[in-house]
Order: sequence, then C-alpha cells, then structure tokens
Amino acid sequence: MSSWRRTLREKLAAYARGPLVCLLRLFAGRMFHGAGDSGAEELDMGAGILLIFLAMPGTLVSLLMFEKYGSLIRYLRGDKLFDPYVATIPDEYFFIVLSMAVTAGAVLWRWDSIFLDRRDYANLVPLPVSLRHIFLANLAAVFSLAFVLTIVVNAGSFFLFPIAVQGSQNSVLMLFRFAWGHSASVILASAFSFLAVFAFSGCLLAVLPFRTFRKISLYVRFFIALCLLAMLASTLTAVSLFSPNSHDLRFQFGLFPPIWFLGITETLWGRGNDIFFAAMAHRALIGLALALFVSVFAYALSFRRSFVRIPETADVGPLPRMRRFRLHGALLDGTILRSEHLRACYHFVLRTLLRSEAHLQVILAFAALGIIVAAETVRDTFAVYERSTLVPLSPELLAIPFILGYCVLVGMRFAFEIPADLRANWLFRLWISLEGEQARPLARRVLLTFTLAWLAPACFLYSIFLWGWLLALLHTTILILSCLILVEVLLVRFRKIPFTCPYPAFQSDSTLVLVAALFGFLAFAVYIPEFEQWSLTEPWRVLLFVLLTVISLIGLRQYRKQMLDMDKQLVFEDPAPSGF
Amino acid sequence: MLEAVALAKFYGSVPAVHEVGFRLEPGQVLGYLGPNGSGKSTTVKMLIGLLEPTRGQVLFEGQDIQHDLLAYRKRLGYVPEEANLYPYLSGEEYLEMVGTLRTMPPSKLKSRVGALLELFSLYPHRHVALGSYSKGMRQRVLLIAALMDNPDVLILDEPLSGLDVTSALIFKNLMQTFSAKGKAIFYCSHVLEIVEKVCTQLLVLRKGQVIAYGSTEEVRRRIGQVSLENIFLQLVEEKDVTQVANDIVDVVMSPI
Repeated sequence: MSSWRRTLREKLAAYARGPLVCLLRLFAGRMFHGAGDSGAEELDMGAGILLIFLAMPGTLVSLLMFEKYGSLIRYLRGDKLFDPYVATIPDEYFFIVLSMAVTAGAVLWRWDSIFLDRRDYANLVPLPVSLRHIFLANLAAVFSLAFVLTIVVNAGSFFLFPIAVQGSQNSVLMLFRFAWGHSASVILASAFSFLAVFAFSGCLLAVLPFRTFRKISLYVRFFIALCLLAMLASTLTAVSLFSPNSHDLRFQFGLFPPIWFLGITETLWGRGNDIFFAAMAHRALIGLALALFVSVFAYALSFRRSFVRIPETADVGPLPRMRRFRLHGALLDGTILRSEHLRACYHFVLRTLLRSEAHLQVILAFAALGIIVAAETVRDTFAVYERSTLVPLSPELLAIPFILGYCVLVGMRFAFEIPADLRANWLFRLWISLEGEQARPLARRVLLTFTLAWLAPACFLYSIFLWGWLLALLHTTILILSCLILVEVLLVRFRKIPFTCPYPAFQSDSTLVLVAALFGFLAFAVYIPEFEQWSLTEPWRVLLFVLLTVISLIGLRQYRKQMLDMDKQLVFEDPAPSGF
Repeated sequence: MLEAVALAKFYGSVPAVHEVGFRLEPGQVLGYLGPNGSGKSTTVKMLIGLLEPTRGQVLFEGQDIQHDLLAYRKRLGYVPEEANLYPYLSGEEYLEMVGTLRTMPPSKLKSRVGALLELFSLYPHRHVALGSYSKGMRQRVLLIAALMDNPDVLILDEPLSGLDVTSALIFKNLMQTFSAKGKAIFYCSHVLEIVEKVCTQLLVLRKGQVIAYGSTEEVRRRIGQVSLENIFLQLVEEKDVTQVANDIVDVVMSPI
C-alpha cells in the first residue's frame, strides 16, 4: 500500500515538474502580472494586493449590511415581521450585479494577458513543446483565473452578508440555507460574467485579423465597461421589479442576466414556486452552459486563427496619420504654443494620449463613469419633467457638462502619472531646463484643449436647444470658467512632463486624494450647477460667478508663489507628492 | 546534417525567399548574410519550423523537420533576433522554465543553469526580473537558453546584438570551440568582421535569392575580393555608400 502511495506521489511530483504544469504556471503568472513588454513600466501590484482590491467591494458592501439588518435598527424602524428572504431581494440583486461587474472589470483589465501573444510564440514555440500543450495550458490558466476571481470577488459576501441578515435569527439551518443560496448565485453570476467577456473577446479574435483586433479592442473594452456601469446603475431602479405588482415589468427584464441569477437564489431559498424566478433560474443555467461552450470554442478558433499564424502576420501596422489634427495643430502652434519646447512637448503628450493604450484606457474608464452618471441624471430629470413641454433650468441638466468635464479632466490627470516608455525620457532630460515653469503651462494647455475643444461647443449647442441663446452663452461661459479653476486645482503641485516619470510611490495621503476626488466631484458637479441655476435666474448674478472665479485663481496663484522654488522645479526621477 | 532544399516562401504573391538551398554539416559554421529585408529572418523561421515553406523542404539528418518537429527542436538551440522575454520572471526562473520545457532532468538543470549564469557573469543578477535587465544581459540569457541543453545544431540570428566587447569575444571563441566539437552552426549576422573570422561557409542573400554560396575561401576567390566587406558591397549594395554619406552631410549642414 505504501509503495503504491509512494509511486503515486512520485508520479504526481514528476507531473508537477513537467512541461504542462510549467506552462500553466507561466500563463497564470502572466495573467496576474500583465502582458506589457517592459515590465518595469507596467503597474504590477502583485497578486496579493490585486486580490485584496478585488475582494474589497463585496466585503465593504457586506459590512454596510450589518447596519441595515441589525436587530436594533430593525426594532427602531418597527420591522416586527422580518422575512429575510423577501427583505433582502434588492440587496441580493445588488450583490449579483456587483460580483458580475467586478469580475468582468478584472477580465477587461487583464484582457491582453488572457490570450497568447507574439512573445509567447517567440519564447515557447521554438522549444520542443507541442502546440497542444500550449493550448491546453493557457486554457487551464484561464479557467484557474476564472475560479480564483469568482471566489475572491465574492469571498467577503459569502460570510458577511448571511451573518448580517441572519445573525440575529436563532436558526443555524436558516443561516446555512441563506448562505448557500447567496453564495451559489453570486459565484455562478461571476463565472457567467467572466465567461461571457472571455467568449466575446475570443469571438472577436477568431473573426477579425489580429491587427484589427488590437486596434478595436480598447473601444470594445470601453463599450463593455459602459454596459457594466449601466448594469450597476440599474440596481438603483431595479427595486421596483421586486414589488408584488410588478409582473409585467419582470418579464420585460427577463433578458437581463443578473435577474437570471436572482432566480437561482430564489430557487435555492425554497421560493422556486414563483414561475418567474423558476424560469430565470433555468435561463441562468442555460446561459452559463452556453457561455462556457462558446468561450472554449472561440478560444480554440482564435488559437488556430491567430496564435498559430503569428509568424505570418506583421505585429503592428503604420500609425494612424492624424490628418484631422493637422489644422487644429497649426492653429494651436500659432496661438497658445508659442515656445518650441511647449510645442514639442504638447504634440508628444497629445499623441501619447491618443495612441497609448494604457493612457487611453484610464481616460476612457473615467469618461465611461462620467457618461453613465450623466445618463442617469438625464433619465431621472426627464422622468420628472416628462409631461412638461418646457424643460426647466434644473441643476441636474446644468450639471451634465460639469459631470463629463470633471471625469475627463480627473481621468487625464491620473493618466499623466502613468509613464510611457521611461527609457525614452532622456530626450526631455537633455533638452528641457529644470528651472522655471515648464510643466504646468504644458499640462494646463493639454487638459483644457483636450476637454473644452469638444465639451464647450457641445454644451453651447444643447443649451441653445433647451434654453435659448443667452442662457446657452452664460452656461458655457460658467462651464469654461469652472474648468479653468478645476485645472488650476489639479495642477497646483504638478511639476512633471506628463508620462516621463516613474509611477509615484504609494503615499500616506493617497486615500485622502481619493476622498478629495469624491468631494471634488460633489463641489464641481453638484454645488456649482446649483449655484449656477441661482445665478442664471437673474443674469447679472453671473458677474458674481466671474468675481468668485477671479478670486479663486488669485488665491491659487498666491499659494504657488509662497511654495519653495525646489517644490516647483521640474522632476524626472523623484516623484513629487500627488498634485490633487 | 541540416539541409535546405529549394526553400521558397511567399506572403500572398510576394516572394520573401526563393529557391534557397544549402547544406550544413557537423563542425561547419555557415554565415548567412544579406541586407535588411533580404529574407534572412524568414529563412531562420523556416529552419526552426515556425514557418512552413511554400515550396521546398528543410531536412535534418535526411528527414523533413516537419515529420517530427519536437524531436528536431530538442536537438536545436536558437537565439532569436529580438530578446522578447517575460519581464516578470527572473533570469534564473526563465532559464529553469526553458530547461523544464526542454525536459531536462531537474537535478542537471539546476546545476547547469547556475554554472552558465556564473560563466556569463549573470549569477549576481539571477534573481532580478528580466524587465530590468539591459539589452546585453537579455542577450546573454538567450544564449544560455540556446546552449543549456547541449544542442547539435545552433541557429543564431544576430546573437551579438547588445553584447559588450568581452562577451562578444567569448562568444566568438565559443563558436569556434563548438564548431571544433562537431556542432553545426547557422549564423545570421550583419557583423561582417565576426562572420569573416568564424564562418567556414558563406551564403549571401539578396531580395530572397542566393547570390553567392560556398566556403569562405571559395567565395572570396570567385568574387575576386579579399575582405568580406568588399564582397558584400559588390554583391549586395546597389548604392554608392560614400555618395550617400556625402549627401547626408550636405543635408545636415545645409542652412535652415
């Protein structure tokens, strides 16, 4: 018996040292570390921190549930007849949506690392390893990633949410039944979300030439991110689905995947006699099986069509010629980019922003957030005023360009901190003097032209349509002035040529920066439009707004003046404290 | 040992390589020369089985390499043109991975990797991520990866790229020693000086076609030039290099 065990153990150990497991380890490592060519410049947080980040949303929301479902709170609210299975449906729906969104978000983040690429081909195919082994090892790595993500993303809510809801009840059996229903549905929802994105990207890679896939993948990811944010936003309105008189509405939402997985929860909680939820549970299982099948099929097809043919295809085509920007560039060169250094750096920054995937990704993520918040605001506003023929001057409608402007400006400011091939920054080190104001004028011009070039005309046009010429003009002026102040605040301690410094080290004030960004959003996209509405009711009050802008700008200028010269000097190596 | 028989590769209707043939015996070093875009890398890819030829065959010990590609690759050492390595692996991890994929016994692998890292002056950096290696260090890692399993055939595509003088000299001696020990070496390079000193055979390629092939002495005799640089210029370059250099100076020094 012992020799049999020893043989088995030896065989397993030999297998673990074999090529397949070696490849599996390599691919799994790549999925956690990213696929960038220059690892030193890619943000590599390490697997541990990455997993903590992914587990945080579910855990934090679960912790909030302790307050909502605490027995004292329920007593104070007068909830004497508490049915946890009914009361928690909206929250369960939220957990399902959250787990789907976080999992899919993680896949989007690691999109480039999931499929095998040119580097894998160059390193592995010349070795005596069969293509079948490479195929299977990467597929196994993808499914391992799916497994880890589904567990990690939902780990917090597995334990905390059931305890928060059922902790005050005196039945362990009920606690287990609740936990079982919740865990199964969020895990399956996460798995579905992972497989759906994987299948979609696999289909694109199988159908499109690799170059086209690379070109459009960023925009596809942007679209998927928009859908995920819209899905998250839907949780605010989905409460109406769960009221007893919502049968018609429910069937309309039957095509919405999170509802399918809610059907699984309901079934496992023993409420499968509701025809709607039983049908949804069935749909969830079919959807999951279909996603699994399509993802494996698309992966196999893409492997054959894309990976195997790598040596026959060129890596990248010529860069897009920026003809559209030629006129725009000439105009800027003659007006706001008078100095040679400014002109050279501006064109470098603009081209990097438009061509570098990492930078565009950050900006598009912030823009997606802005679009969803703006869309929700528009929808809510028109829901209130749908019967009115005249659209009133509401702070919500005034806030739309402010929301978009804030998200894009803050997104760009974050993107400035992402290095773009640091080995190439010697050029700036060699030619740009460290003394004097170099960084802020450049960054200011980039931020303003990149945002106001489209936002101000769009704001002006939609304001004419809604409120007429005068208000449109005033609204656009206020938007421009507000953007000016925001840009100055964002750049108050900025002293870098964008993209030429390493990532800033994590600092103790990083959390503060995030909180400040949130409060900044409130100030910029909520309070300023409210103040603007008050100003626009009597157009002379706009002068007050202009006065406040001037005072703010002078204040910021004074603050910069009293800063030490060494804190204003241009830096390349030593990352400055975050400039928010 | 390794033979290319009328190799041709077309990308669509564009010929990258056309009717290329040579024979590489144990102990020989074949210098494969040609300007950019002449089809050198395409030939290399066909020789290691990454690309299937449109026509012709690559034979190893008389058998088409496609017949048993894995067995052929097990006896092959390859240094690619670009050091495109996994930046998050350390030098030692990368080499151990290559050894495992080459199915080298673990005990032998560990000691051989250590010894080669030491000899290539990489031992102190063995735990450092490849992403922070210099170009020369990456190139040395690729050389170790190619040599570690004692291959019978070495295919080297610009192996000296980024190497310092000492490493380049070591490499030159290494090639001569390997050649004396009966290894067949296919050496693709632009560094004519090394090719001249090391290669026993020479093949010059232009626009995908062989324009000179034979032993180094034979090619020299046939072209009537002593130095390889002159042979290369006479066979391959259509431009008058002195004239081009003068034109560049004129453009640079012209008033703005």
